[in-house]
Amino acid sequence: MADQVGTRPVLSRGEPYEFRLSHVPAYLALTIGAVVSMTPFLYMISTSLMTLGETINRRLFPSNPQWVNYQTAWSEADFALYFRNSVIITAIIILGVLVTCTLAGYAFARIEFPGREAIFMVLLATLMIPGTVTFLPNFMLVRGEVIPWGSWLNTLPALTVPFMATAFIIFLFRQFFLGIPHELYDAARIDGAGHVKFLTAVVIPMSKPVLMTATLLTFVTAWNEFLWPLLVTTTPRWRPLGVGLYTFISEAGPETHLLMAGAVITILPVLLVYFVTQKQFTEGIATSGLKG
Amino acid sequence: MIRTDSATKPRRVSAMRRREWLTGYAFVLPATLVITIFGLFPIGYAIYMSVHRWRIRKGGFIGLDNYLDIVGDWWGALAFFGGLLLIMAAHWLWTDAFRRDGGAVPLVAKLLGALVLLGSGVFVSLGWRLMTEDGDRRFLAGLTRTVYYGFGSVPVQIILALIIASLLFQNLRGQELFRMLYFLPYVTPAVAAAAVFRNIFSPRPERPANTVLSWFGIEPQQWLFEQRPAINVVFGGLFERLGIGELSGFWAGPSFALVTVIIFGIWTYTGYNAVIFLAGLGNIPKQLYEAAAIDGATRVQQFRHITVPLLSPVTFYLTVLGFIGTFQAFTHIYVMRSPNTREAVDTASIVIFDTFYGRNNFSLAAAQSVVLFAIILILTLLQNRLFGRSVFRG
Repeated sequence: MADQVGTRPVLSRGEPYEFRLSHVPAYLALTIGAVVSMTPFLYMISTSLMTLGETINRRLFPSNPQWVNYQTAWSEADFALYFRNSVIITAIIILGVLVTCTLAGYAFARIEFPGREAIFMVLLATLMIPGTVTFLPNFMLVRGEVIPWGSWLNTLPALTVPFMATAFIIFLFRQFFLGIPHELYDAARIDGAGHVKFLTAVVIPMSKPVLMTATLLTFVTAWNEFLWPLLVTTTPRWRPLGVGLYTFISEAGPETHLLMAGAVITILPVLLVYFVTQKQFTEGIATSGLKG
Repeated sequence: MIRTDSATKPRRVSAMRRREWLTGYAFVLPATLVITIFGLFPIGYAIYMSVHRWRIRKGGFIGLDNYLDIVGDWWGALAFFGGLLLIMAAHWLWTDAFRRDGGAVPLVAKLLGALVLLGSGVFVSLGWRLMTEDGDRRFLAGLTRTVYYGFGSVPVQIILALIIASLLFQNLRGQELFRMLYFLPYVTPAVAAAAVFRNIFSPRPERPANTVLSWFGIEPQQWLFEQRPAINVVFGGLFERLGIGELSGFWAGPSFALVTVIIFGIWTYTGYNAVIFLAGLGNIPKQLYEAAAIDGATRVQQFRHITVPLLSPVTFYLTVLGFIGTFQAFTHIYVMRSPNTREAVDTASIVIFDTFYGRNNFSLAAAQSVVLFAIILILTLLQNRLFGRSVFRG
């Protein structure tokens, strides 16, 4: 199973291309669908480059791209600060998830200890619990009303710690690690390597595809998180981009062009990462999705 | 005593094994701690909060008062949830009861099953009516909207995704490009996308949705601000001519504003579903199609008798995931709503958040979230029961 992930083309037949007349309707349908699904993006980009007058006058494209809109949004709405916050928060969450979930996934796959299956099942069951149930108690938690550790509101830990492990990523790692042959571990054992050594020297270098998938999935969910940061940031100090954009929506009023520039700033990092890693990204989601 | 047989005494755990255990616990500790505190503990605490008076600060114990406030009438709630469970019983009668030796189910059992299904429908609708009379109208209406949202978006997403996936699977040029474009909405931050949708579906005549309508000579619509059921907005003229007037009640369907939110849901998840379907298509052995082609099966027959049954586990997975997703949907709806949408798009999760954030009634919000959780659990069970086993597992 381990060598299947990432090496086999899961999403295509892998045959040489051959044009058939029967393909024409397929191309047509796919193109129409793609245009419809891209329209919001095109509208966003086009509007972000208009003048205020053009946004009101039913124009499809700006006559003269107003790049200055981005500058205005960046400085007027504090997007520079929000952007920095988002980068820091996302990086910490990714790091945390990779460390905790690699360890846990490895233990669930490779180390025998009493209660292993039970703990794993309980963790998996948390995937069923909707965020609408957890946000309220968690808000009490970070305000320090349950465990007296003081209020975390408007601090970095409030935005990162709750996301530092997820059952889904543990599951993903465990599945992958189960596919690594036992003989490798036995050989490492004879050479005197323990679990830590084996994990860092053998398992992790072998697991690049699944680490990549986990990183990308965590990046997208962390970057796009909205409800929780909205609750725990009452000041701009650690407010991430999404919440910043939301406050801007209520303040920008009729300045659609600036709002759209803000939306582009929020979306752009995700799109860049997605375009660069597109193949691994979709194939990772496809394989992990089917297993989940 | 002389110890002779090592098998009869309890096995001693060697030091090495105990070290192995400790390593295991140490490895799982950080992740387990985080998930227990922020994922598992909240359920217990939500229940605890829901049985206390709690507006910002904790008050006294109030028992099930909040739950009674939500459901309005215990008998109504009993009838409603009992009716849902009866659906399961009906299905069991229809397929399993009285079945012997894998033979066919006798007609009597089928009739009985149909009867029970009818009865469950009566119970559900009767219970719901009792509940809405005295219950938490905002929350119950939110639940109805969630149901509309789920049934309006999930089936459409799945059908569109299946079409896209099978088109893409035909070894076309540009497959990767199409796949990338279709998948893009799924990774887009929902806040930004919803901000764009808010503008596209704005009631102002110069905005894109109304511009497109104007090309066809249709007057500008209210979209997100439209409280009336979509069916009345679209067919209102026809109804008037037929003398029906406006439809109302549950069967009139979602408001026009909610349909806009449904469109957003379809836009976001169709590409994701298509990618998962593509992976599923890749897992179907090619030989099956070749054999069917030799036997003279047409493309449509192949699709109907090979693709659809072999993809059924994927379809099932996506349906369950989709419905759970609609019950949790929050960000895009929260961003798309405004004072002008009034309550038209407030699904259950929005109502819960509003009870907490806007009205500061923490304990009622907790009770609402527990009820929502219970409904999600029952739905998942139902789906497993009704469709889980008709799924082909090769």
